[in-house]
Amino acid sequence: MGKVLFALIVGLQLLFFAGCKHDDLSVPLPNENIRPAADFVKNNYEMRLFYAALKKTGYTEQLNGAGPFTVFAPTDEAFNRQGIYSTTDFDKMNVDSLKKIIGYHILPRKLMVNDMPSNGVDIRYATLTGPELYLSRAAFNPNGGVENELYIDGVEVIRKDVVVANGILHLMDNVMKPNFNKTVQQWLAAHPDYSVFVQGLKKFNLWDQLAIGTTFTIFAPNNKALEDVGITEASINTLETGKYIGDRLFGAYILYGRHFFISDSQVFSLINNNGAYNYFLKNDSHYMNFGGGKLYPEFKLGYSLTLRSGNTISDVILNSVTSNLTAKNDNLCSNGIVHHLIRGLVTPEQAIKK
Amino acid sequence: MKKERLNNRMIKTGFEQLTWLFAACLLLLNPGCVKVEYSKIDDPAYLRVFNNLNYVQTLGSKDNKVPFFCMLINPVLDGNGMPTSAEIVGDFLDQRDAYAPPYPSHIGTSTSLNNPEYPGKENVLVGPILNGFDLSSWAQVPSGKIRIMFAYRPKNTVPFFQLENQLKKDILIDTVLNLTSKEVYTLHVLQKDFVTKRTGLLLREEIFQKLPLSDSLTYVNFYNMSAKGYWEADKSLKAEDYLMASFQGGMKDEMNVFLSLYEDQSNLSARAATIPGFKGKYLANVKLNTTTSDVTPYVSFPIWSGKTANGITTNMWQRFDFFVPGMDITNNPFYEASTDNGGNWVSVNCLQNGKVRMTSNDNAAILPNLLVNIHSGVNNPKTFATVNTVEVVNGRVYLTTIQRKYAPPIY
Repeated sequence: MGKVLFALIVGLQLLFFAGCKHDDLSVPLPNENIRPAADFVKNNYEMRLFYAALKKTGYTEQLNGAGPFTVFAPTDEAFNRQGIYSTTDFDKMNVDSLKKIIGYHILPRKLMVNDMPSNGVDIRYATLTGPELYLSRAAFNPNGGVENELYIDGVEVIRKDVVVANGILHLMDNVMKPNFNKTVQQWLAAHPDYSVFVQGLKKFNLWDQLAIGTTFTIFAPNNKALEDVGITEASINTLETGKYIGDRLFGAYILYGRHFFISDSQVFSLINNNGAYNYFLKNDSHYMNFGGGKLYPEFKLGYSLTLRSGNTISDVILNSVTSNLTAKNDNLCSNGIVHHLIRGLVTPEQAIKK
Repeated sequence: MKKERLNNRMIKTGFEQLTWLFAACLLLLNPGCVKVEYSKIDDPAYLRVFNNLNYVQTLGSKDNKVPFFCMLINPVLDGNGMPTSAEIVGDFLDQRDAYAPPYPSHIGTSTSLNNPEYPGKENVLVGPILNGFDLSSWAQVPSGKIRIMFAYRPKNTVPFFQLENQLKKDILIDTVLNLTSKEVYTLHVLQKDFVTKRTGLLLREEIFQKLPLSDSLTYVNFYNMSAKGYWEADKSLKAEDYLMASFQGGMKDEMNVFLSLYEDQSNLSARAATIPGFKGKYLANVKLNTTTSDVTPYVSFPIWSGKTANGITTNMWQRFDFFVPGMDITNNPFYEASTDNGGNWVSVNCLQNGKVRMTSNDNAAILPNLLVNIHSGVNNPKTFATVNTVEVVNGRVYLTTIQRKYAPPIY
């Protein structure tokens, strides 16, 4: 019995060894055709304008280099919204300022979504240009539920974690608009579209604070927007400053001491169930409700402002504006952020001193 | 004969096997022997630390500095004033929890490093049992003069001394405390002025372990450690937290506290039956104080006052109404669910584990029951009287419960 068992075991061992013969064993080679960042951008027709900008500013070689990089690449549509439709449009621009802005879209590190803090708001990362960008990631709702939205400088990331040979690429729905050392005052002064607003701020002594001050979020109405509420260059000249409450007539567009991207409101509505912010106007009894989010039907970021005569439910609504020109919002300045407002809030009659 | 030999052989091999096993065990045991150096603090004082600087992540407060600290006792500083080590380190000190339990039971299920109090989750020498009170939530610290520092730290999981140097220099408080040996202290990091944002410490020498307290009464005292000017401040400046209900806006600097005892905590309604004699009963007066460390007097209520109480267990729960002097539950002008009362009326319900929502229309914040119901001896549950502290800080209310050592459960 024992001998039979022994013979069987030896036989089995032999069979095992025979079974271990692998003549044609081959390991798949790693794919050597994953492209580096700049080549990847070049080969994607959704990012033709971004590639033209990279080429114009001389970043292509660097982005094909060793890395690691994280590229926040705006789509062609994003550039279109800024009035850039063809590659030749970049020729009209100052190369140095373009280089600063394009460099601001690149991080000298590899940053995947999982490396970003969950529910982190305003996490700052140094860019290739130097200045930091602001990243907010909605990852979960404390009451349960997974969220997955990512915003950088107020711009939504529409495709995350595209792996390239020397880093990561994220696709952006808009172009980021950093203004580096420019203050909100300089920004407004440089945009003739807001000249009536600027004129009003100057007339009611609200202008000088914008050069110094701490932080501002400005909802800037353009000239057309103010015309809707009966304010034009000519009418401002005839206004008697003593008769009107400047902090309401023009101060209503200034949010003091806050640094809000429109996307912040969306992020907080996801992670905290409350994306609204309500505040009294400075030196005035009137009360503002600010809230942002993705607006129906395009589901692009927008915001609304509602001005009331006070903070109780019985107070009258003076005006309510929903502003949905996403691409014109989130102009990041050194002392705050400027957003575009499509319609004025206060008519001169509503700001008469009583 | 053959069988006997076989048996002998089996016995022999059995013995040999045992010897081998024993030898192998010895081999394993030898390297397992280490001399344990028990840490010991001579003449300790007992210290429990709370970080009362609270924050909520909201749109309005997103740019504020997060009050997340590392506590350093007797720190060693380098030439630039940056701490390099410390005798005692209480890292990851987060804002305090609404409930500070009698035993550091929050360690049990927690997967986070963030500590709601010190010692809390820290593995350090803790206090003994004094006059029956288990001080395992108090850490032993050296008595005499100690230097204490609270350093801001980023909210992550990197231990303080491994952070980059520029992150270790932001010190909120650096001061010296004088602790007496064998005394029990609670230390609070507080905001003292809401307008100037001035912060400071409040060190309280507790007396509960010296008092002759009854086992059939539950004791409670009240503090208002809010920042000056909090309740007067505009709503837009205050953190919104709907769970705090009427407390969100803060309460006035002097308030009267009224107690209601309810029969049954499975009935989640403030309109339910109260225990006769305990509906809006005046209990105490509480004044804003962030400067002196006096212990406010303990007031008490009997734990076996309910109809269903049987001397072993009771299902009673408590509600505290804080009214401005001149107002009480009989002349309360506010609607029962009114939360925004200008600091004139705030209330808190203490029932179950504090994580429930009332079914009735109500304006109360919710905290755990002051009474501890737990399996002890053959009784499951058995109700224990406790000693409690209710602290109001700005828009929040906190409960600290201290319990006597009790018999372990018999299954």
